[in-house]
Amino acid sequence: MTDIALDHGAAHDDHAHHDADHKPGFFVRWFMSTNHKDIGTLYLIFAIIAGIIGGGISGMMRLELAHPGLQYLGAWYEFLHGPGKFDDATEFWNVLITAHGLIMVFFMVMPAMIGGFGNWFVPIMIGAPDMAFPRMNNISFWLLIPSFSLLLASPFFGGAGTGWTVYAPLSTSGSHGPAVDMAILSLHLAGASSILGAINFITTIFNMRAPGMTLHKMPLFVWSILVTAFLLLLALPVLAAAITMLLTDRNFHTAFYDASGGGDPILYQHLFWFFGHPEVYIMILPGFGMVSQIVATFSRKPVFGYLGMAYAMVAIGVVGFIVWAHHMFTTGMSVQVKMYFTAATMVIAVPTGVKIFSWIATMWGGSMSFKTPMVWALGFIFMFTVGGVTGVVLANGGVDDFMQDTYYVVAHFHYVLSLGAVFSLFAGFYYWFPKMTGRMYNELLGQLHFWIFFIGVNVLFFPMHFLGAQGMPRRMPDYPDAQAYWNLIASWGYAIMGVGMVFFFVNIFWSMFKGEKAGDNPWGEGATTLEWTLSSPPPYHQFDTLPVIEDSHHH
Amino acid sequence: MISRNLRTALLAGVGVCCMGGLGFASVPLYRMFCAATGLNGTTQRGLEAPGAVQGQKVTVAFDSNVSPALAWEFKPERRSDRIDIGGRDMAFFTAKNLSSQTLTGTASFNVTPAQVGKYFTKIQCFCFTRQTLKPGEEIRMPVIFYVDPKILDDPDARDVKEITLSYTFYPVDSAETKR
Repeated sequence: MTDIALDHGAAHDDHAHHDADHKPGFFVRWFMSTNHKDIGTLYLIFAIIAGIIGGGISGMMRLELAHPGLQYLGAWYEFLHGPGKFDDATEFWNVLITAHGLIMVFFMVMPAMIGGFGNWFVPIMIGAPDMAFPRMNNISFWLLIPSFSLLLASPFFGGAGTGWTVYAPLSTSGSHGPAVDMAILSLHLAGASSILGAINFITTIFNMRAPGMTLHKMPLFVWSILVTAFLLLLALPVLAAAITMLLTDRNFHTAFYDASGGGDPILYQHLFWFFGHPEVYIMILPGFGMVSQIVATFSRKPVFGYLGMAYAMVAIGVVGFIVWAHHMFTTGMSVQVKMYFTAATMVIAVPTGVKIFSWIATMWGGSMSFKTPMVWALGFIFMFTVGGVTGVVLANGGVDDFMQDTYYVVAHFHYVLSLGAVFSLFAGFYYWFPKMTGRMYNELLGQLHFWIFFIGVNVLFFPMHFLGAQGMPRRMPDYPDAQAYWNLIASWGYAIMGVGMVFFFVNIFWSMFKGEKAGDNPWGEGATTLEWTLSSPPPYHQFDTLPVIEDSHHH
Repeated sequence: MISRNLRTALLAGVGVCCMGGLGFASVPLYRMFCAATGLNGTTQRGLEAPGAVQGQKVTVAFDSNVSPALAWEFKPERRSDRIDIGGRDMAFFTAKNLSSQTLTGTASFNVTPAQVGKYFTKIQCFCFTRQTLKPGEEIRMPVIFYVDPKILDDPDARDVKEITLSYTFYPVDSAETKR
């Protein structure tokens, strides 16, 4: 990546003296906010809360799955709805897995990556004073609140037990009551929020770069957010259309997905995965961007193959739109169609391989320091590679006939998301924590968090490969005794991960108030992007005078 | 500055509308795509059989289902026919209204294995229209079809020895809200 040198006497020296740092009162500042950093903070807080809820639900699931048979589901159902039948308890399992998936995808990973870090650092990294449409930015965040409320309220109205994919006909003729309508409306609102955010990012990145900040000098994190915004823009409207038709099928007697009226439920799957596959890249691309920044910073070297890295993300985004049916290999496709989708899916391994290679090449010969953000980034690279390898296995249409909807798939997408996206989120959080709060996190607690979490999630998810290969189906609250051994180990893995999270929360609360003061740039010469030229935390309004990015020497 | 931002945002908004429109437009597009390619075992319609190919036979099995919401009995007269590929065949199904009301039904259909959909051609079928039965009424309904000899050239479908033609009868709402 290109070095960025500020013009002499630029932005950051005397902001403390003038009005730039004047902050509005509490209510106006946090509820009517138009400041990209405040909105980013709100997104991060929201994502942490959603993550606690979504993670808590997965704890309930691992508790139930620790032993064969049903132990807790009935009691949980009774707690929520009063005494119920056996079927009610197992349906409650569907509600749990649906809530876990939707919360983690739409209310944890996406708000944290795009809304949180994207809002915070995209304007700063391109030398802009704020986002292009600050009020729209505010709407984007506050749309998430009713959206999340609808989803959280739905279990009290029967519960949406459709899976995060909301497949018809289970979600149409198969589910009665308002809960599924609430979940669908929740998706509509979250989608609208993300589309507005995407328009905002695209406009900001295209029009508000500082003088000299060409597209090919932008930090890779900005590139990743730009590609993500385009994916959001093109994928989410299709989801909106698909779930709108679900709503009319449910409530207005249309038959888009109803065979008895001339519709086809498979059409829903096509529409959903046309959105759904880009969606998984939406969740991981900003992570790629963050890891690129972090690896370069802690190797004290510019990123290896900057252009290759940027266009690898573009390529992943483009190819991501033409591989969707690999989620539907068992819906009855001809061999040629399967062959196409298998080959197209495997092609994605090429740009992904370019990225993994370039990260390693960045570290090669670098002056590396293994601070907490760096170990998280390294953990990301390792975990994501494991998940990528199982992804190539699953890309084979023939193999997938066997693996479809087993725990092997669960292991795969948790390695790329729960361990990939989440590791990059933690990496970014520790990396930018000093910048956002002005205080250093505690290095020992950060390292403990990493190592315990790393061991925990591997103990949790690696056995799922074995369970899947043995044919354990996903979305089931029970399993045969033969699969008890690895299930128990997986549940213990969850407990280990939970202990790791304790260190995280202790760390952020302790560091927020008692942490050592961080200077403008706690990471030294490796940190070359514009946010490190500002104070920590940055002034309320940065870049009153736009920084000028010089055409610096080549590497 | 403002107008430039607005222009970018409007272009992005147009992109959103186009993709949303594509989402809805995919309903007729998907139907056309299935009809053209025989995806999911969608059968074809034709006017005349091309004539039997000597010595090439295939078994066509008939499968009948009734939605639980429709009080009909519905079954094929024969379970299967052994026919010449390219030759015209007529099979009969019988439907009987078991209830005390006049009921209207319509049949959805496909063939398996799915890859023979584009070769399975119907000339006439009771499934092309709705069927209305008075209480206790029983009717015989014909389907006239042939299997396109091009199936012999398709490596995916060449080894198919048996084709299942499946129908499911659903009730049509008396209020005619659907379609």
